[in-house]
Amino acid sequence: MTNTGMFFRMLFSAVFRRRSRAMMAVVASLVGAATLFCLAMICIAVPQQMNEEMRAYGANLIVTPTSSTTSADKAGIDEAMVEHTTEMVAAKGSEKHATYRYENVRVNAAPYVMAGVDAAQVKNLNHHWVIDGSWPSDGKVLIGRDIADAIGLKVGSRITIGYRASDNASSSSSSSSSSATSSSNDTNTDADANGSTSSQSQSSSGQPTQDGRVSSDIMDTSGTEFRVAGIVDTGGSEDSIIYATNADVNKLTGVTRGVDVIEYSAGANDLNALVQSINDMTSMHVKAQQVTKITASDTRIITMLQTLFWIVSLVVLVLTLVGVGTTISSIVSQRRNEIGLRKALGASSVAIGTEFYVESAMYGLIGGLVGTAIGYGLAQWLCVAVFERSIGFNWWLGVASVLLAAVVAVVASIPPVHRATRIDPAVVLREE
Amino acid sequence: MDMLLELDHISKIYGDLHAVDDLSLTVPAGQWLAIVGSSGSGKTTLMNMIGCMDTPSRGSVKLEGRKLEDLNAGQLADVRKNLIGLVFQKFYLVPHLTAVENVMVAQYYHSVVDEKQALEALDRVGLKDRAHHLPSQLSGGEQQRVCIARALINDPKLILADEPTGNLDEKNEKIVLDLFRQLHEQGTTIIVVTHDALVASCAEREIMLNHGVLVGEKWNDEAARAAYEAAGGRPASTGAAVEGAQTGETAIGFADPTKAAKTGGE
Repeated sequence: MTNTGMFFRMLFSAVFRRRSRAMMAVVASLVGAATLFCLAMICIAVPQQMNEEMRAYGANLIVTPTSSTTSADKAGIDEAMVEHTTEMVAAKGSEKHATYRYENVRVNAAPYVMAGVDAAQVKNLNHHWVIDGSWPSDGKVLIGRDIADAIGLKVGSRITIGYRASDNASSSSSSSSSSATSSSNDTNTDADANGSTSSQSQSSSGQPTQDGRVSSDIMDTSGTEFRVAGIVDTGGSEDSIIYATNADVNKLTGVTRGVDVIEYSAGANDLNALVQSINDMTSMHVKAQQVTKITASDTRIITMLQTLFWIVSLVVLVLTLVGVGTTISSIVSQRRNEIGLRKALGASSVAIGTEFYVESAMYGLIGGLVGTAIGYGLAQWLCVAVFERSIGFNWWLGVASVLLAAVVAVVASIPPVHRATRIDPAVVLREE
Repeated sequence: MDMLLELDHISKIYGDLHAVDDLSLTVPAGQWLAIVGSSGSGKTTLMNMIGCMDTPSRGSVKLEGRKLEDLNAGQLADVRKNLIGLVFQKFYLVPHLTAVENVMVAQYYHSVVDEKQALEALDRVGLKDRAHHLPSQLSGGEQQRVCIARALINDPKLILADEPTGNLDEKNEKIVLDLFRQLHEQGTTIIVVTHDALVASCAEREIMLNHGVLVGEKWNDEAARAAYEAAGGRPASTGAAVEGAQTGETAIGFADPTKAAKTGGE
C-alpha cells in the first residue's frame, strides 16, 4: 500500500467508521445545500414564471407601420416584414405575437371596427380575455361585449356585416392605427405614442367614436352574414371590436393587404434596445413602441421578488456556514487527542490540516450531492404546487451547489482545524 | 561511551512551580532507565522534554548529540518520528483505525507504509490474529501491545514509555515487560516512566524524582553500572538546593515507596 492509499484509508475510516459523527457533518451540509439549491432554483424559476404570467396580460411591444407607409399605400405590414420583425424580436428572447388588420365596417348601417386576426395567435397572446363561446373561425366572428349588448347579440346569433370602401378610403389606415392603438390604449400603451396616434386618428376621421361605433348613421344594412362564435369581454377597447379571421376580412373587403399592428409579448431583457434597433431600421417602414406600464410593473415585481429571494439565500448561506462550522468544530474538538497523538507520532501541522480539510470537503460533497437532490425535489414540488409547472434541473447550478457545499464545509473547518493543529502533543501525555 | 541522551541542568518552570528542577542526566545507547516518583513528581514533564514534545525553561537537552533547543517545530517532529517510539499509559490508539492501521499510521508519518511489516510488528507482540480489529474490540493489554508495535515499527533508537503497565492486569503487565526485555536485549534504549516499583526494578538503572527534584539513583544491574562508569558515565545530579536532593557526584540510594506500599512495608 502506498502512502496515498493509506491517506484515503484513514479518510474513509474516519468517515465510514465514525458514522454518527460523520452523519452530523453531512446532515449540516445537506440541509444547507438543499435550502440554498431550492432557493436558487426558485430565484431563477420565479422571475421566469412571473415574466410569462405578466406577459400573458397582453403585449409589451407594439409595431405599427410608419406614417409614410400608411399614407402612401395603406398596404400595412406585409407578411415578409411581419416575419422579419418577429425574427428580430425572437433573436432577443422568447416571443409571442399576434397581428391585427383593422377595417371600418357597418352592422345595421352603424359603423364598427373589425379586426382580421389569427385566432390562435390572439388567444396565445391574451390569456386574460374572457370569451363566452369560441374564438372566430371561417364564417364566424368574435364580437366585443359592448357591441353584443348594443345590438342584442348572443353566441350563435347571426350578424350581417357590410363593408364600404368609402368608409376606409380616407382614414382606413389612420382609423386602423387609432383602433390598434386604442385597443392597446387600455392595455397601457406608451402615453406619448398613444397620444400622437389618437389625435391623428381623431383629426383625420373627424368623427368621434363611442363604443367603437362612429356616430353617423347612414341607413345601409347590406353585407355578408356571419354567425357569432363568441363574445369577448376584457373591460377594454377590445369590447368594441368585431374579430374575424383574416380570410373572412379579405373576402369581405375584397382586398388582401398587410396588417396594421403587430403585438408582441417579448421576453427580451432590454426592451428599449429592441425598440431602438427596430426603429433604427428605417428601411423596414415600421415603428416599434413599448407598452410601458406592463414592462415597468413586470420588471418592478420581478426585481422585488428576486431581491427578496437573494436576501433569504444570503441569510441561509450565513446560517449554513454557522451550522456547518459549529458541527465541524465540535467534531474536530472531539478529536483533539487524536490530533495530539498524530503530532506526537511526527505528523506536521500541514499533514494534519490536509487530512481534516479533505475530510470536511468529503462531508460537504456527500451532503452537497444529497442536499442538491433534495433541494431540487423541494423546488420541483413548490413550483408544481404554486405555479403548476415543473422546472428542469439546472446542471450548472447543481454543480455549483455541490462545490459550494464542499467549500463551505472546508471554510467552516479552517478555524477549528487551525486551532487543533496548534495542539501541543504533550497534552496527550500530560495526564498523570 | 556515546551518550544517546544528555540533559544539562534542565528545568521546567510554571510560574512558581518547578515541575523539573535543574536536572542533569546522561543515558547511553542501549540503557534501560526507569524514572520513578509519585504522582506530580515531574516524571511525565521530564519525559515530554526528552520526547521533543515540550521544551525546558532552562538548560539543554541533547539527543544523539543534537541540541533540541536549536530545532524548530518541524525539526522536532522529525526527531520524534525518526528517533523515538512512544508508549502511553492510555494507549492513545486512533479509535476508528484497526490495529494494523494504527501501526501503519506511524509508518505513514515516518516514511512509507508497509502493511506486511506492520503485520510482522503485530506478530512480534503476539497480535497478528487481532490485526484487523478496532481498538474497541481489543482488551487493554492488547491495546497496549498495539501501542508498543506502533512504537517499534520505525526501529527507533529510544523507546519512551509513560506508565506502560498502568492500566494493565498482572498477566498483561508481564507480557509488556517481556517485550521490553526483548527490545533491551536487542540494544534499544528504553526510558520508562513509572510509579510501579516492580516495573522500575526491571530496568538497569532507576532515578527518583520528588516534586521535580532528583532525590535518588540506583542500579539494578551492577555490570551495566560498571560499564557505564567505565565509559565515563556519571551519576545523575541536580543543582536544586533542596534537602535530600542528589546534588553531588555520588548517587543516593532509595527504597521504592511504592514497592513498600505494595508489599506492606516488608
